[in-house]
Amino acid sequence: MTSATTAHSVVEPSATTRRFAGSLVVLYAVITMIPLVWIMLTAFKSPDDAISYPPKVLFKPSLEGFCNLFTTRSRQTPEFIRSLGPPQGMCDDIARSRNMVVAGPSNYVPRFVNSLIIAFGSTVLAVALGTLSAYGFSRFRVPLKDDLLFFILSTRMMPPIAVAIPIYLMYRTIGLSDTRLGMILLYTSVNVSLAVWLLKGFIDEIPREYEEAAMIDGYTRFQAFVKVVLPQATTGIAATAIFCLIFAWNEYAFAVLLTSGNAQTAPPFIPIIIGEGGQDWPAVAAGTTLFLVPIVVFTVLLRKHLLRGITFGAVRK
Amino acid sequence: MNELSASSRITYRAVMVRPSVAHRIRGLSDRTLAWLFITPTIVLLLAINIFPLLWTIYLSFTNYRANRANVPTIWLGADWYQSILTDPDIWAAMQVTAHFVIWTVVIETVLGFGLAYLIDKKFRGHGIWTTIILLPMMLSPAVVGNFWTFLYQPQIGLFNYVVAFFTGRAASSFQMLGDVTLSPWAIVIVDAWMWTPYVMLICLAGLRSIPDYIYEAAEVDRASKWRQFWSITLPMALPFIMLAVLFRGIENFKMFDMVNLLTGGGPGSTTEVASITLKRAAFESWRTGYSSAFAIILFVTVFGLANIYVKALNKVKSR
Amino acid sequence: MSLDVTPSIAPRGLADRILRRGPLEAVATAIIAAGVVMLMQPFSLTLYSWSFATTLFGTVMFTIVSKVRE
Repeated sequence: MTSATTAHSVVEPSATTRRFAGSLVVLYAVITMIPLVWIMLTAFKSPDDAISYPPKVLFKPSLEGFCNLFTTRSRQTPEFIRSLGPPQGMCDDIARSRNMVVAGPSNYVPRFVNSLIIAFGSTVLAVALGTLSAYGFSRFRVPLKDDLLFFILSTRMMPPIAVAIPIYLMYRTIGLSDTRLGMILLYTSVNVSLAVWLLKGFIDEIPREYEEAAMIDGYTRFQAFVKVVLPQATTGIAATAIFCLIFAWNEYAFAVLLTSGNAQTAPPFIPIIIGEGGQDWPAVAAGTTLFLVPIVVFTVLLRKHLLRGITFGAVRK
Repeated sequence: MNELSASSRITYRAVMVRPSVAHRIRGLSDRTLAWLFITPTIVLLLAINIFPLLWTIYLSFTNYRANRANVPTIWLGADWYQSILTDPDIWAAMQVTAHFVIWTVVIETVLGFGLAYLIDKKFRGHGIWTTIILLPMMLSPAVVGNFWTFLYQPQIGLFNYVVAFFTGRAASSFQMLGDVTLSPWAIVIVDAWMWTPYVMLICLAGLRSIPDYIYEAAEVDRASKWRQFWSITLPMALPFIMLAVLFRGIENFKMFDMVNLLTGGGPGSTTEVASITLKRAAFESWRTGYSSAFAIILFVTVFGLANIYVKALNKVKSR
Repeated sequence: MSLDVTPSIAPRGLADRILRRGPLEAVATAIIAAGVVMLMQPFSLTLYSWSFATTLFGTVMFTIVSKVRE
């Protein structure tokens, strides 16, 4: 870094201050990571290790949580199990050691797929609509521009439960309840406000001169938008898309109130994974881990743009 | 100005190019194009946000129940509003919300600003550690709420174990989620864990927006570090802090997912924040008219705060 | 930016000086904040009962006032 050249500035903190600040921040980061790491560890524990006291940090890794996450099992008598052939695969083997046999796949995969479809569908729509509107707001004189922008933002601020009541009735009337399309439209409407605000910020930063030069070269305004502005805005569009994706991926309130099976996403499903005698914690932890890993990756990808995202594009640095 | 000159250039160009699809698009004035670009978004929001909102306002004046759609709807006027606004139980739910909002915002602001102040010292590797600290706020509140129920288990939970380890009490002697006095704090802890990074990130932007020369001038005037903090750092970062406080306030005022999974409003109604009361009325008792009125009350509050938020946003933007 | 440098406007009286966006917005903001505090305070049921009306009034005022010239 540039510390060597600026070390003598009065504003630069001394080495001791730096080390002190650094150690406090690292301490906070470590503490804040403990719950997350714990969940990921629990995913690889056997049910007995997961509920042992004192909590076990060292344990023999087991994939039982993942097996229980992906399968449903039924309890059988030892005689019946012995009468079956050799176990089919690792999960069947684990199940048999607990006097059970694998009965079939669980609902986790369909719920996960729903999450994927709904998140990607709504993201594509929201970013497409958002890019057009953002360009419109950024470049043209629109009557009542500030009011429209505020209106767009305020729709995102609505309490989800308050929105869910009429949406529930509306979807019931037009047959969109518990459909992926219904959820995609709903998430699009929530995400489009963020997309417009964020993308307007990104497009505002592209100099108008680029398009004007292109138009002098014979491009229409529309062609200039497609061939000059869009390529320039790629980073912004990608960042916005990831924000929309994360929101739709994480959303719970609408999902739990408006879907019951068909279109249910993973967040309402994970908490209701139940084993024999209460929650099957390794399975829940395994489901959580798989669900969170994409977010961790995205956060790392997005780290430079997080600030913009959480302030609707207002704070850019 | 730019739009005017651009559009005149477009018409000028349009004369010279052979007729085609492109020509027809070229023929569109900027004004038409602007509306073409903006209308789809507005239409979607009208259909999925504004129309339902108007419907909710209508329902809030009626006795409609979603599970008995065949019962004739009667116009009740402002009866529901009156009964909600004089109901001590709803008032109690608002106070539960207040406890949650105030404590989370206070803790998150103090911790978040503190962290931002430390990170602003630019120690080695601050980029990586900042990213690590930011992780919790990107996660799904519902999934977070759910896995914290595991950490809060009295017999087996890590949280209880750690507290027991440092205080010497038995880990099973207290239940974070089952105890009337502890559960309101249980939700505050989880929210603070999750959203402190949010406040930290905005405060960090505030601190970084303060130009060095101000500190240099203060240094020349021999102002103490303490003095500099109170008369430069804090006032100049204040608009950013306000922005974070307002946004966290609004978000936590309507908090649903995390609390619903952690406590579901219990034990009793000690953690029943406004959104949970609303959900119980709307989707468990199916008192649609009543809950619509409550929804409108919450909505107007959020909308009012959103006005202030956008004002704060513009203030920060002009920096 | 302030009104005083805009020569095309007719001379203003006292009302004109008060009825500007800045102060009016501040008043509306204060009313909204008061409404929110009234909604969540634990002291008086009467204040709670009037909170909604207060917030609504503040919000409507804010919306109107934001149209007033700067």
